[in-house]
Parts: sequence; structure tokens; C-alpha cells
Amino acid sequence: MSTAAIETSSLSKTYRATRAVVDLFLRVEPGQVFGYLGPNGAGKTTTIRMLLGLQRPSTGRAAVLGLDAQVDSVEIHRRIGYLPGELALYPRLCGRQHIDLFARARGVRDRSFALQLCERFAVVLDRPARELSKGNRQKLGLVAAFMHRPELLILDEPTSGLDPLMQDEFERLVRETVADGRTVFLSSHELDEVQRLADRVAIIRSGRLVASDTVERLRRNTPLRVEARFRRPVDPTSFAKLAGVSVTARDGDGITLQVAGPLAPVLTEIASHDPLDVLSRHADLDELFLELYRDPPPEATHAD
Amino acid sequence: MPTEIIRLDLSLRRNSLLGYTLGMAVYTLVIVALYPAFEHSNSLDKLIEDDSTISALFGVTGPISTSGGWLNGNLYANFLPLLMLLLTIGYGAAALAGQDEDGTLCLIATLPRRRATIVLEKAAAMALQAAVLAAAVAACVVVGRWFDLTTTLGSVVSISATTLLLGVDFGLATMAIGASTGSRSLALGTGTALAVSSYLLASLASVVSWLHPVRYASPFYWSVANNQVIDGARLGDYAVLTAIALAGLYATVTAFQRLDIH
Repeated sequence: MSTAAIETSSLSKTYRATRAVVDLFLRVEPGQVFGYLGPNGAGKTTTIRMLLGLQRPSTGRAAVLGLDAQVDSVEIHRRIGYLPGELALYPRLCGRQHIDLFARARGVRDRSFALQLCERFAVVLDRPARELSKGNRQKLGLVAAFMHRPELLILDEPTSGLDPLMQDEFERLVRETVADGRTVFLSSHELDEVQRLADRVAIIRSGRLVASDTVERLRRNTPLRVEARFRRPVDPTSFAKLAGVSVTARDGDGITLQVAGPLAPVLTEIASHDPLDVLSRHADLDELFLELYRDPPPEATHAD
Repeated sequence: MPTEIIRLDLSLRRNSLLGYTLGMAVYTLVIVALYPAFEHSNSLDKLIEDDSTISALFGVTGPISTSGGWLNGNLYANFLPLLMLLLTIGYGAAALAGQDEDGTLCLIATLPRRRATIVLEKAAAMALQAAVLAAAVAACVVVGRWFDLTTTLGSVVSISATTLLLGVDFGLATMAIGASTGSRSLALGTGTALAVSSYLLASLASVVSWLHPVRYASPFYWSVANNQVIDGARLGDYAVLTAIALAGLYATVTAFQRLDIH
């Protein structure tokens, strides 16, 4: 088995009485885009800070590029690019000074790729950071994260504040990065963004991992949504009593069911009511995410 | 030694350093230029002699009409340490805890640098700022030779060095508190309180008998409050001030290794 780009085992972080991350097991394979999803305050940023060695885990351990996140943080920092979720820049320094600072500090002599990125993202280089919009600051942060061509990129809410054109440019850059054999760990609360880019996703809620799989398999495992229309209104209780079936909507002569169990008894029941039309499909991934986001597990607390 | 963080912090503090330095240089030039007017003023010495407690509060001991006394009473015993401490304590609170609160500390903490190296760079940036201020004031005092001041160059250099070390001592203590708590305001408040109590201890020790034996506990005693401007600093002064700085540096590194950065 190859060395994982990121691997955590039983990773937890507690702030006083708050359990921000609880017993987290993650494995991110090299060369893929890994989406780390969760609502605000789920523990995504805390996880990232532990991966970067910025914060010490309460228990458990994290390894990045095969190195211990706490012990080998200098070597890890040399080989990664990081975009913080709440990016703060030095207000008086302009874009060019920020790029120069990070290039010098990382020993980047050839700045042609950095300049190319600045051009692609139309980065404003000559104005102080305090005068830049959120989107323009974010673009500067993206250039700083990608400019030294790191093996692993850890990006926390990377498209926050970007306009749709720049979001497209960002997605192209991520695809190029992965095509180059490098890894992207993408934390977000935006399902669409992650869905478009990620090979695998993990969903965290209230500090606990609630799902981890490929996007396709998650989609396949969502419950079926069955919509049926009949010649005359039907009694929904005959459907509700079937195993794994719940009635999610009823509208005149139509009914919508969520089916988590076998489909055959549902079709038999529909057939007995003289149907006009039947449509069956997997529920949207959004619905699964919303459901996972919604129900807090016991003992759950917060925080990013 | 990497220097990026030194360059960055000096560039971020450029305006305030310039302000402190220019302000202090102008003040020093005025004090130096005024000396001939007070050079033969025995009444001023008499005033100090009559109310030594009030004089001691301002760090003034002994006659003020001599060159050394004039510089001590108007510059080295009070105003220069005050400005020096404003500079270093302010930077000490901002350098780690303040930048963590601003969210910029993670930008440098995720560079390929050991945390100890980050602290060393920040301590060097602090010492450089203190050196600029001390050197500017020393240069203005040297100009005083044209205004009848007879203080030797050696005394000026040595008191400048001990004042610099005094600033670095309290700056590092403040930085250590910031690294332990992650709070800029707590670091600033505690660092300032330490400096003020230390100043009062050293300056009042000459007139309050029960304070006299504990004056050694104050870094001010080893820096400016033991006649250094007249006699020059002794080896022991440098040794104590350097030892305090090293202890502060060690405490900062240890605390910063444990700090959860945001």
C-alpha cells in the first residue's frame, strides 16, 4: 500500500468542555482530490490545523505525506501549500510584497509560475491588502498556496468570495494539479464545488465523521425516490406500512415515497392502485447531505 | 539564520519605529541644547535635595546640573526607558499573540520554519528596533559635546546598551506571556505592570529604606538606576540583563511550542 497523503487515527481535539473533533479516522490517497465536507462549525478547520501541526491533538495522531504532523511539521510545511479558511493578510503590504515574501521564505527562485498564476486569477498586485475585496484577497491566497508546486494542497473553503469565472479557473487549476500526480485536500461546506471536483469525500458533523466514500458510491447508496400518479387519490397508509418506505409528499392524485428497503413490494402496491405514471430515481446527493447535516448525533458539540 | 520574518516585522513596524525614533531624537536634541542654560543652576540641585522622594519618582538622584545628572534626570532615568519599553512591550505583545488574534500568525507558522526559529527571528527584530532607538538617542547625546556636555563616549555607549537590554528584557517577557496565553491584551497589560513596578522599585529604593535591599530584583537597577550614565555600566549589569533576556527567550520558545495557533 502506498504512503497516504493524509492519514489520521483516532484524532480528537477538545477545547475545555467542547469536543471539536472526535475520534477521526481519515485516509487520503495520493494523487486525488479529497473533499472534506461539513456545515459551519463541524470541525473541518480544527482538523486542518492539527494536520498542519498548528494545534496539538488531545488524543490520536495525524500523518501528512508519511510524516508525523507534530514532530515533522517543518518538513511537512516545506512540501505542502495551505490556504486558511479565514485568510488574513498584512494590511499594509501589497499583493506583490506578499508574493515576494512567500517566495523568498520558501526559497522559490523561479517566479514564472507564480506570475502565471497571478495572470490566470487576475490578481491585483499593486494595491495594499487592506484595499482589496474578499475575492481579491482570496486569489492572492490561492497563488501563495500553489506557487511552489507543493505535493499536497490543503485548502480551507478555497472558493469563498470568488466569482463564477474565478471558480472555474480554480477548478481547472485543481484538475491540472491532480493530473500532475499531486494531491488536493479540499475543505468546504459547498456540496456542488466538492461534487464537481472530488474523487472521494468525507462528511464531518459535530466533530464526528458521518460518511466517507467516493461521490459515485455515496450517490448510489442514497435512498430511492419514487413518484407515482394515479387515476384517483390513494390512501398513503398502505405505502407507509411497507418496510423501509416513508411518504415524503402527497399532492392530489400523486404521492412521493422515499424507499430505503426493497423496491418490489412498493411496485406491487403501486400497481394495485391503477397508476398513470411512475418515476424512480436515487435521491439527490444534496438531500443526503442535508439529512446528514441536519440530525445531530448524541454528545455532539461544535466547532471550527 | 533565516531573515524573512525579521524583514517582514521590521517592514510592518517601520512607521511606528520611525515615529518613536524621530520623536525621541528631537526630544534629546532639545534636552542637550538646553543644558548650558541649567549648567550653573544650583537652585535646581537644591530643589532635588530638599524633596528627594519626588525626584526619585522621576528616577532623579544626585545633582542635576552636572552633565551626567542632567542626562540622567531628563533622559536615561525616565524618558528613554519609557519610550524603549513602549516600543518593545508593544512589539512583544503583537509579535505572537497579536498576530495570532489577527489571523496572520498562521501564515508564517506554516512556512518551513521551526517555531524556535520564528521566536529567534522575532527577538532579533525586537532587538534591532530597540537598537535603532538607542543609537539615534546616543547620536543626539554625542552632539551635546557642542553644548557643554562632558559625558564620555564610553558612558553613552554603555548606557545605550543597557537601555536596549532593558527594553529587550521586558519585550521578551511580554512576548512569553503572549505565547503562553494567546492574548495580546493580557500580554500588554502584564508586561506593562511588570515594567512599572520594576521602575518604581528601582527609583524609590534610594529613598525608601525597606525597598533598598530588594532593588537588585529590578532590571532598571542593572540598566539605568545605578549611576550607569556617569560611571558607565559594569560587567555585572550586562550579565544580569543578558541572563534575563535569555530566560525570556527560553520561556517564549517553550510557551510558543505549546501554543495552539488559529
